[in-house]
Order: sequence, then C-alpha cells, then structure tokens
Amino acid sequence: MRLSDRVTGLFMVALGGLAAYGGSRLPPVPGQQIGPDVFPLVVGIGLAICGGLIAFGVGRHYEEEAEADLAKITGQMATSIGEADEPLAWWWGLKALVPPALLLFYVVAVDRLGFLPTAAVMVLITSLALGARLRLAIAMAIGAPLFVNLVFLKLLRVPLPSGLLPLPWISLP
Amino acid sequence: MSTVIEAFSLVLQTDVLIAILLSSIYGLVVGSLPGLSATMATALLVPITFYLSPIAAVATIIAASAMAIFSGDIPGALLRIPGTPASAAYTDEAYAMTRKGQPELALGICVWFSALGGIAGTISLMALAPPLAEMALNFSTYEYFWLAFLGLMCATMVARSSPVKAVASMLIGLLVSCIGIENPAGTPRFTFGSTDLLGGIEPIPALVGVFAVSEVMRAMLTSEPPKLPYRRFGSILAGQLALTRKYVAPQVRGNIVGIIIGVLPGAGADMAAWVSYSMSKRFSKEPEKFGTGHPEGLIEAGASNNASLASGWVPSLLFGIPGDTITAIAIGVLYMKGLNPGPTLFTERASSMYALYIIFIIANIIMIPLGIAMIRIAALVLRAPRASVMPVIVLLCAVGSFATGNNLFAVVTVAAFGAIGYVMERNGYPVAAMVLGIVMGTMVEQSFVTSLIKSDGSILPFFSRPVASVLAAMTIAALFWPLGVWTWSRLRRHWPVK
Repeated sequence: MRLSDRVTGLFMVALGGLAAYGGSRLPPVPGQQIGPDVFPLVVGIGLAICGGLIAFGVGRHYEEEAEADLAKITGQMATSIGEADEPLAWWWGLKALVPPALLLFYVVAVDRLGFLPTAAVMVLITSLALGARLRLAIAMAIGAPLFVNLVFLKLLRVPLPSGLLPLPWISLP
Repeated sequence: MSTVIEAFSLVLQTDVLIAILLSSIYGLVVGSLPGLSATMATALLVPITFYLSPIAAVATIIAASAMAIFSGDIPGALLRIPGTPASAAYTDEAYAMTRKGQPELALGICVWFSALGGIAGTISLMALAPPLAEMALNFSTYEYFWLAFLGLMCATMVARSSPVKAVASMLIGLLVSCIGIENPAGTPRFTFGSTDLLGGIEPIPALVGVFAVSEVMRAMLTSEPPKLPYRRFGSILAGQLALTRKYVAPQVRGNIVGIIIGVLPGAGADMAAWVSYSMSKRFSKEPEKFGTGHPEGLIEAGASNNASLASGWVPSLLFGIPGDTITAIAIGVLYMKGLNPGPTLFTERASSMYALYIIFIIANIIMIPLGIAMIRIAALVLRAPRASVMPVIVLLCAVGSFATGNNLFAVVTVAAFGAIGYVMERNGYPVAAMVLGIVMGTMVEQSFVTSLIKSDGSILPFFSRPVASVLAAMTIAALFWPLGVWTWSRLRRHWPVK
C-alpha cells in the first residue's frame, strides 16, 4: 500500500485537525488553567502542520538519499530472489491483510471454539498464504497450537479457553 | 563491595542462568532468520518475562537482544540478506569477503568484535550511569520535561528518513498516548465511549503489533529467501587477535560512536552501524578497498552496533526514556517488575544494577562460543521455511499479548498496530519514532502539565533553573539545527564565497 506523499500528508492534516478539535472540546478542570485539552491541542496542531509540509514535499530529498543507500543492498537482493517478475493479480496486495485479519478472527472465535481449533485455523491459513505445501501446513496446524498450548497454559498458566475441545490432560486442572 | 557480592548471588541463581542460556539460543535463532529483527525477538519475549523473577526477566531481554544483533550478521555474510536491520549497513562488505573465500574470517570478525563492542558498551553503562544518577536526583519536573522533549527531538533527527515524516510519526505516537483516562486531569479522552479504550493503549501490545505483525505482513508479499548451501567452516577465530591489534583505531571509534548513538533516545543498533560504516570509510587510509571484502568497516560497524545496545540502557534506566526500540520494550518490563526507572534505582536497588552489568558481561562472553556454534549450524537453521516460522509468530502475537493482561482487547491492539505499522513503513514514516511517542507520551504530558500547574501557568521557570536552561538551549538548538543547515546551504548556493 504505497500512497503518495500528498495523500498521507493530507490524512495527517485531517487527523491532527480532528485531534485538536476533539481535544479543545474536553471539559476544563475547574479552578485550573491547564486542563486535559492542552496536550491533544498542541499535538494535533503540530501534526496538522507536519501533514501540510509533507503534502508539499518538504524534506523529500532526505528520504531519497536513505532509499538510495538501502537500494544498493536490497535492490540487488530483490532481483536475485526474483520478486515481482510476473504481473501480479489485483488481490496480491490484500494478502498483507491476512495476519491482522487472523488476529481479529482469534478475538471473535477463541471463546467459542476454544484455543486449539482457533490456533489451528490461524496457523493453517498463514502457512498456506506463505506458499507452504498442504502436508507441511497441516503438520504445522496440529503441532504449533499444541506446543504454544503447552508453554502458555501449562508452564505460564495463562487461562486459554478450551472451548469445543475440553481435553482434560492439556488444560488447567 | 557487599553490593557486588549480593549482585553476584542474584545472577548466579539457577533460574537466571537457565534464562540467560535459553534466551541466548532463542536470540541467535530469531536474529539469524531474515525478516525477524532483534526488536521483534524482544517483543515476543515479554509475555514470558511476566512469569520470571525480576533479574531473570531483565536477563532474558539483555541476552536475547545481544545475540540477535550479532546473529543477524550470519545470513548477511553468507547470503547477502541481513538477518536484522542492524546488519544491513555492512552486509555487502561481509558477503564480498565470503565470495573471496573468507567466510570464516568475515563471521569471525562479526562474532569477535560484536562481543568486544558489547563489553565496551557495558563499561560505558557502568561508568556513565552512576554520576548521571547523582545529577538526576536533583531534577524536578521542568528538567524532566526538557529531557523528554530532547529525547523526542533526537529520535526524529537521527531517523533515516525525512525529518518531517519522523516528527509526524512521533506526534502520532503522542496522540496515541493521549487515549484513555491516564492523564493529569483524569478525564477520559478519545475513548469514543469504549470501556476498553478507557485504560488507554498499552505500549507492549502496540509494540508487538508494530514490530512483529507488520513484519509477517511484509513477508506475505515478498518471496522466500534462497536456501543456504551447506558448507564446512575452518577455524572461526583464527586471525582475530591480529586484526584486533591491527585495527585499534577503527575499533575504538566504532565503540565510541556506538555508545553515543545508543545513549541518544530512539536511535539504536541499525543507526549505529550505518554511521560507523560510513565513518570508517571516511577515516580509512585505504577507502578504495571498501566494498571489496575489506575487514576494516566490518570491524568498526560490527563493534558499533553491539556497543549501542548496552549504552541504550543508560537513559532507559535513569529517566525512563528509551535509548532504542529494544529498551522501549525493556522499560515496560522494568515497570512490571517493580524496577521503576529513575535515579533512585542506582541508590536503592544498587545490587540489581550491578547484577544487570554482570549479565551484560556474561552475555557478551558466552556470545563467542554460542555464536561459533550457531555459525556452524546456520545452514540447518536457515533451512526452516518461512511458512513454518511465520505462523508460529502470528500465534505468539495473539497469545502473548493476551497474556499481558488476560484481555482480548490487547489482541485487537496488536492487529491494529500491525496494520498501522505496515502502512507507515511502506510510506516512509519511521515507526521507531511513533513507538517512542507512545512510550514517552504520558511522561511528556505529566511533566509538562505538572510544571505548568506548579508555576501557575508561567513558562519562566522552564528556563530559569540552571540545568533546565541548559537542556532548553540544547532542545531549541536541536529544533533549529536542520533549519540552520538548510538556510546556510541555500545562502552558499546563492552567494558563493569568493
């Protein structure tokens, strides 16, 4: 998700403006000049100014210098791996959203399904998305949750929900 | 003297020693896998440290981070892919040596001078911290405000990106720290009626998101690194003593630069390596050899990034201002373990501080044998496909952040900050600056607002106390330095000096 500086800069302006506005509406503390509104107001205004500068391309050349330095090393690396030598499908970029989506899935599902099934689904999908063969992915999906369960539930006593799979020998007594 | 003996007895506990050994192995493995950084290794350790004794908890962080910074050099030298960002500066040089048929020498330099650099950094920590603590005992909120402000400015100045974007990232971090009820007035801010947000955004899940989840997101879109061919190595340490004698000046320079960059808030090992490598090239008698497999730059930068690790603890322990992203996480652990950062740590918990120094020294000494073992089995470790490592990391992110408070909202925080960190990184906004803002936001606001309340709204006391005025001058200089340089270069261009 590479956006132009204009877009991200204007987003900063909007975010800073909203923060400053939201901050200014906070109720003051009676009898004191400095309330909870000062800090968000200052930070919000600062952010809006920075956003404006970014949108107009101030400081861009520092970034180009750093990128050129890095490209000397990673540039050759990327080509040697063979990255992006075939046209990519439109959904390719969306693959990056798999990890956060799986974490949200964990939040929604873990109490209902229990830890082991939820974790197995997460591992299976991540593994397949990274191009693993089905055999490795399934082996991982069985092994990794059991290992994490052992470490966190047995050794560290984190209350992981058992859900659909109430296995007495791997859950807390 | 009795404190030193007490410190030794604190370190020589079975649980501490086991913790050091296991976390060293963990650090070596994680650091050597490309795409998994030292900061990520530390972030994923945090939930484990909850269940350890305070000294063991700090020991795991110290050992794992030191090992990971060294072992990032291994794939750099053998595959030309830096294992951690801290190795990126000299990956080319190390790989050139491997191509010349000297992989043993390149890796030997990495392990030997990393260990020496780490020990030099530890000595700086031992020498710098106590006198600074003495001074800091007299600090009031005015000084703390300037110190925190100066720290935030440093973090934006040294970022390898546009300074404007760095400031913007830092302000976003400060804005994140505004969320919740934890402010001097105790008013809920930006909670949008959500009870989960009342408690604010916890720094640790946010850091796990930024450093671990966004790394997995990046892995989704890049292809797998090539496999490392198996090879037999000769003696790793052969010739290192001769190199140590030959390149004394670069080594000392690397250590000093590393220490200074480590002390600067927000700038850590990767910055130290970049600066040291380019400095080495500039001061070298044979700069034309750089890039062709010349050991000089490797020695200087390899020492520098490990030296910065220990000195990064100086501002963290004294003021709670993180010296780099690793100590940003460590501060959270220190608070949790009752070792609240501050100058009194050195007077009241002196034995714990000595224990910390001892752990640093131990970690850097065992780095040599463990590092050599790691180099020999690197081909085996690096054979693990990403598809088997990354899923475990996603799982650990979820379970680990849940374990920090037995609260599922932390997992939502991890997911959100993973996405935020990924988008910011892609668009050139340095995430380290945001992290610093999140960690230090409460401190900046607290010291600012308390100072203003104390002075009844007047800003005069911010400048009238002696130490505060010096700090203020430094901060203002830092603020206007880039502007001055820019104007000066403009003037020179328009009116060239005759």
